[in-house]
Amino acid sequence: MWKEIERRESGKICPHLFASRLKSRRVASMQLSNSKDIVSPHRGSINSLQVDLTEGRYLLSAASDASVAVYDVQQPQDYEGGGLIAKHKSILVLDKQHEEGHKYAVSSAVWYPVDTGLFITGSYDNSIKVWDTNTTQMVMNFKMPGKVYTTAMSPLATSHMLIAAGTEDVQVRLCDIASGAFAHTLSGHRDGVMTAQWSASNEWVLITGGCDGAIRFWDIRRAGCFRVLDQSHSQLGRRSPVLSRVTAKASTSKVLLGGQNTSAKTGMALRKLSYGNGTKQVSAGKIPAKTSSKQRLHPGMMSIRDRATAHYGAVTGLRVTEDGMYLLSTGSDSRLRLWDIKSGCNTLVNFETVRLQTNKAIQLAISPDSSHVFVPCMASVKAFDFWSGKTFMTFRGHYENVNCCWFSSRDQELYTAGNDRQILVWSPFVSQEMEEEAALDRDCWSD
Amino acid sequence: MSIWNYVVTAHKPTNVTHSCVGNFTSPQELNLIIAKCTRIEIHLLTPQGLQPMLDVPIYGRIATLELFRPHGETQDFLFIATEKYKFCVLQWDVDANELVTRAMGDVSDRIGRPTDNGQIGIIDPDCRLIGLHLYDGLFKVIPFDNKGLLKEAFNIRLEELQVLDIKFLYGCAKPTIVVLYQDNKDARHVKTYEIALKDKDFVEGPWSQNNVDNGANLLIPVPPPLCGVLIIGEETIVYCSANAFKAIPIRPSITKAYGRVDADGSRYLLGDHAGLLQLLVITHEKEKVTGLKIELLGETSIASTISYLDNAYVFIGSSYGDSQLIKLNLQPDAKGSYVEVLERYVNLGPIVDFCVVDLERQGQGQVVTCSGAYKDGSLRVVRNGIGINEQASVELQGIKGMWSLRSSTDDPFDTFLVVSFINETRILAMNLEDELEETEIEGFCSQVQTLFCHDAVHNQLVQVTSSSVKLVSSTTRDLRNEWNAPSGYSINVATANATQVLLATGGGHLVYLEIGDGILMEVKHAQLEYEISCLDINPIGENPHYSQLAAVGMWTDISIRIFSLPDLNLITKENLGGEIIPRSVLLCSFEGITYLLCALGDGHLLNFLLNMESGELTNRKKVSLGTQPITLRTFSSKNTTHVFAASDRPTVIYSSNKKLLYSNVNLKEVSHMCQFNTAAFPDSLAIAKEGELTIGTIDDIQKLHIRSIPLGEQARRICHQEQSRTFALCSLKFSQTSSEGSEVNFVRLLDDQTFEIISTYALDTFECGCSILSCTFSDDSNVYYCVGTAYVLPEENEPSKGRVLVFIVEDGKLQLIAEKETKGAVYSLNAFNGKLLAAINQKIQLYKWMLRDDGSRELQSECGHHGHILALYVQTHGDFIVVGDLMKSISLLIYKHEEGAIEERARDYNANWMTGVEILDDDTYLGAENNYNLFTVRKNSEGATDEERARLEVVGEYHLGEFVNRFRHGSLVMRLPDSEVGQIPTVIFGTVNGVIGVIASLPHDQYVFLEKLQTSIRKVIKGVGGLSHEHWRSFYNEKKTVDARNFLDGDLIESFLDLSRGRMDEISKAMGVSTEELSKRVEELTRLH
Repeated sequence: MWKEIERRESGKICPHLFASRLKSRRVASMQLSNSKDIVSPHRGSINSLQVDLTEGRYLLSAASDASVAVYDVQQPQDYEGGGLIAKHKSILVLDKQHEEGHKYAVSSAVWYPVDTGLFITGSYDNSIKVWDTNTTQMVMNFKMPGKVYTTAMSPLATSHMLIAAGTEDVQVRLCDIASGAFAHTLSGHRDGVMTAQWSASNEWVLITGGCDGAIRFWDIRRAGCFRVLDQSHSQLGRRSPVLSRVTAKASTSKVLLGGQNTSAKTGMALRKLSYGNGTKQVSAGKIPAKTSSKQRLHPGMMSIRDRATAHYGAVTGLRVTEDGMYLLSTGSDSRLRLWDIKSGCNTLVNFETVRLQTNKAIQLAISPDSSHVFVPCMASVKAFDFWSGKTFMTFRGHYENVNCCWFSSRDQELYTAGNDRQILVWSPFVSQEMEEEAALDRDCWSD
Repeated sequence: MSIWNYVVTAHKPTNVTHSCVGNFTSPQELNLIIAKCTRIEIHLLTPQGLQPMLDVPIYGRIATLELFRPHGETQDFLFIATEKYKFCVLQWDVDANELVTRAMGDVSDRIGRPTDNGQIGIIDPDCRLIGLHLYDGLFKVIPFDNKGLLKEAFNIRLEELQVLDIKFLYGCAKPTIVVLYQDNKDARHVKTYEIALKDKDFVEGPWSQNNVDNGANLLIPVPPPLCGVLIIGEETIVYCSANAFKAIPIRPSITKAYGRVDADGSRYLLGDHAGLLQLLVITHEKEKVTGLKIELLGETSIASTISYLDNAYVFIGSSYGDSQLIKLNLQPDAKGSYVEVLERYVNLGPIVDFCVVDLERQGQGQVVTCSGAYKDGSLRVVRNGIGINEQASVELQGIKGMWSLRSSTDDPFDTFLVVSFINETRILAMNLEDELEETEIEGFCSQVQTLFCHDAVHNQLVQVTSSSVKLVSSTTRDLRNEWNAPSGYSINVATANATQVLLATGGGHLVYLEIGDGILMEVKHAQLEYEISCLDINPIGENPHYSQLAAVGMWTDISIRIFSLPDLNLITKENLGGEIIPRSVLLCSFEGITYLLCALGDGHLLNFLLNMESGELTNRKKVSLGTQPITLRTFSSKNTTHVFAASDRPTVIYSSNKKLLYSNVNLKEVSHMCQFNTAAFPDSLAIAKEGELTIGTIDDIQKLHIRSIPLGEQARRICHQEQSRTFALCSLKFSQTSSEGSEVNFVRLLDDQTFEIISTYALDTFECGCSILSCTFSDDSNVYYCVGTAYVLPEENEPSKGRVLVFIVEDGKLQLIAEKETKGAVYSLNAFNGKLLAAINQKIQLYKWMLRDDGSRELQSECGHHGHILALYVQTHGDFIVVGDLMKSISLLIYKHEEGAIEERARDYNANWMTGVEILDDDTYLGAENNYNLFTVRKNSEGATDEERARLEVVGEYHLGEFVNRFRHGSLVMRLPDSEVGQIPTVIFGTVNGVIGVIASLPHDQYVFLEKLQTSIRKVIKGVGGLSHEHWRSFYNEKKTVDARNFLDGDLIESFLDLSRGRMDEISKAMGVSTEELSKRVEELTRLH
């Protein structure tokens, strides 16, 4: 540490690099926090976690007992263990007792991205409610046609205030906070929509994952979806070789594998052949220009491409990277897939997943430098290396299945919660010796 | 309240980050262009050396600097990209002698993560496109059209994630890049891509090379006819092209910079991390590369950039030491080095720590910085103003005037010093023992006051007294001729040069004499209507011995008049206005521009541009130098003429960039000054001050004076102890044996006058000094040095052990009195209520200084406070403790005496990664953070809720564009209680780029006024390359960009003084305040630094 500070202050490494190295080192040392405790008031499995995007201070959790709670993760309310264990109690709880509270399980709770004055909850009682944080009063209620699985707001949006809602129904609905009405519905999925994410680079682009195994991209200014991800579409990075240099082709193809898994690549190529005309456009070798594909894929058209699937079974989780370039998805096929957003390619990174929950949406987290992805894997949470797919760390601590995790980039802390109703904090390692010394000191001045 | 702050640079950045050579200012001229992070400098290569042409600020941190020449152009254009994703293309306008912006734009993207390894900006050698690598996974292309104009940019996906370097290849039909990258197994590879501009995509390039040197970090494209690329590794250098592969092993080193020697690309200079300069030669037969050769040339400063100029002259730009101009000799010197250092350009960067001291006890602060890194580490003593280094002094009361005289006209040195008193004149001379002793010049009248003396042609001397003018031979010292004043009139004022004498007698008579060989001729006489107060005939024209013009200052009508010589015709009359008479006038010429300076009786100085032909006076400017009458005198130092203004605040007036600058002198009050250039004391000045005559040499003429004390090792922390008159340093020395380098750490004690190391305490293996403090403890009268250390073990991420060492200085030696082991690195030490407050990893710890039974002392823990990620920077004020955390901004703690505990009172909940904190006043705290921003927070004691009181409210935000390492209270200038600025509290900061800056907390009304002025100036002064000042100063981090508030850019405001009169008037109109008033208020501010 001292070395890094020395290098930063003498200009030997740039401050940006200093921060990113330190963050990744802190991430690598994460373990169950010995100094921070979040006291969960929930009496049902926790389905959703989110820290506000403005201050990085307030954690919002939603649980199956129809309750929602907010915690201050920066400022503890209480200390235990001689001032060493900070207790973060809920500073706000909304449950069935609240006259406007949800009746059934709350599947999703998200902050209004602009400030912490509002948050949005979606519930199995077929409603989405918007709450005023300060008065804990409901300010808006959207009646939905079925159980709400997911709600999402764009962190970038400056020109709209839309909640994207995925429900049992095949249609994705956009609820407008500004007007209190549905802005429009997006049709395309053939089954309920488990998960939705707004693009991190374009405020108009929404990504949804359905129980039909499809991941659809929507530009909400236009009708219909403009892209359906296809798990067999996997030619990322293939550049047409220089025509005059056909002989060099063998060597170049080896180069372009770069960091990717070689066997997966060749395996994929074989599979592509067996699919025959099913992937006609893909086998052209080069991704067709975006404009032309958009024209061909008119919303109403039932092209073969429109039936493409990203996972076998349902898509249970989606997460875009903070730089807006990649999308991660999980499916009930227990697969984790990494997609290149611009081209829509499956990058074929082979994540070493074991088993994922299949019946429920899961909430993934990605470290802001896109180096690690945190995935609830049954009762544990695994961190995978983003580019190699190797298991980087396994967080074991929950007694039952984990449903959701949230990575706080500000403190490099991971919050996880699941069916055991606990919220666990995983934080960078702080040497135990310090604690002992503190205990020793206390003895010193007590006598 | 200290929330309204004014930020100004006292010492500009000196860290050279980029440099390039080309024909920028004209097709025939060769220029060296240097980027110093936020400034660019343009130099002209002349046979005499580098001649500065332009030095301008850039509103951004320069990320790339490239010269290129579009098709059909005869001159190079300059491409600059900033770290905030702005770019511009600049061209030199030969007619207007200024930079013009050809193109500019924004290349930021919504998507993508900023690259870790720095931004890359490159230009295709055939000028078809500009390539930028700004975000991981994206390569941005800005194509040129066939007219050389820039077209719309687009991104190409680059799958290589960890890109280390990208360059364009020469000699390719289509633009082709070569990429050096690292895969996720940490192996490094090189591959090429052709850019298909039409498809906006890459096409696989002609070749690739896998598994190159693991330390490869630099690509050098080789120009035609050879083409291809050099891959510079830590252990090998490889030449690679489509059909050749040559490798050569090298001594392990990290190459930091390269410079191409020949246009055909067969020779390159490589500079490594240890400052060694090597020559790499590509041997070839015609166009076929046959091998590589490398040869060590010698040692330079550690280079960050190398530019081969011409004829074996090379510019070495450095970030860690002084930049150099070197010459490569054909033959090695005695030490086997081919490198000859011709010139050094001072670089203070990186300023890792500094302290403000008043060594001369004059009430003026000096800054002593820990500068440089590795072998180029040094201490720099930075002082405002020009220093006079006293050589000799005599007690002499009542000096009324002084002049130096030569023993013969051709003598290069002065011999006599004529000192005039109220009723006598004494003559001092250097004797054979080089001592000053009193002598006689027989021809002079020594019983009366001398009004003026000068050397004259034909080995003669002139003395003017109230009754006569005497012409004396300088060889025989006999009187040769005398001119007597008409009876009833006495001479009041007089002046002379080598051939002319001008004098004024009572009644407004002006008499002009010319000096011949043994004769004084009265040439002209004029009668003026009022009495004459001062005159001057300093020759500034072609002839150094004869002046065509005379300047005369008048009583009564308070005017200055210009007369022609020899006919004494009035050419110009300039009324000064006001009621203060001119007390001294001076004709002078700086950098080819002629001025008339006129000093008034109240310490003001007026300056005019003087037209030599017409005698016209234009561009009147007024500045205040002091409060007493000023006497003006020219002197020369290093072959340049300067003016010394003797008064209660002595000032040297000089010119830089064709602008007059005023620099104060480190003397209290000077009544008279004259140059006294003797063989024994060359380039000296004789100075008369309160009852004393001093002979001294003068520093280089510049505003800030910097003295370097090379250490050969890197100083990390410094602190001064008044009582023992010593400095203590924590320093580390890198051993040169291996490329990784092992290091040894020391605590060193230096004498504060000589800067000699007088005592050293070696720290343990792996132990580093992290903090140092001079302090006293309660119940103990001794003054101690406390040093905080850390054991930096290679296997540990965070130090788990450190020490606090307490030293006392005894007989110039460091004596260890006590030590206390800590459970982590001691990042900071502060004296706190007679105790010692240490920041140790996550914790703030308070130690008591306890007396043991055996009389020895020890540090004992009293209490502590947890809850930081790393408490790196700590400042204290009373019972308050302000902590700057590694990544959790600022928090405020309080020490509770009754409970003996430290508690958190409030904190800032923003996620700022701190680099420094300081307490501005009881409620306001200043912080610097990792993204080069400054911010202030305020304690909110009156908050309505606990939540509000526990929050430090952010009240000011500003993008400094500099990485601040340290804040210290203090001032670089003499604080005079009479002036308005004397009351303004200031904080000094030091940065990685070698900037020393000042933050002044202004009163609110002044802040409001200056804010308005800043807004007006922004409209008039446009940034180079069309970059916006507002955008540049906006607080900027990964999360947000917000306009600067409660901070003002003093550099911009003070540039008001450089504007032409017309533009000043424009601003004055917008402000509704007169130009004079504005100038005065801005000039006041310049006295802050």
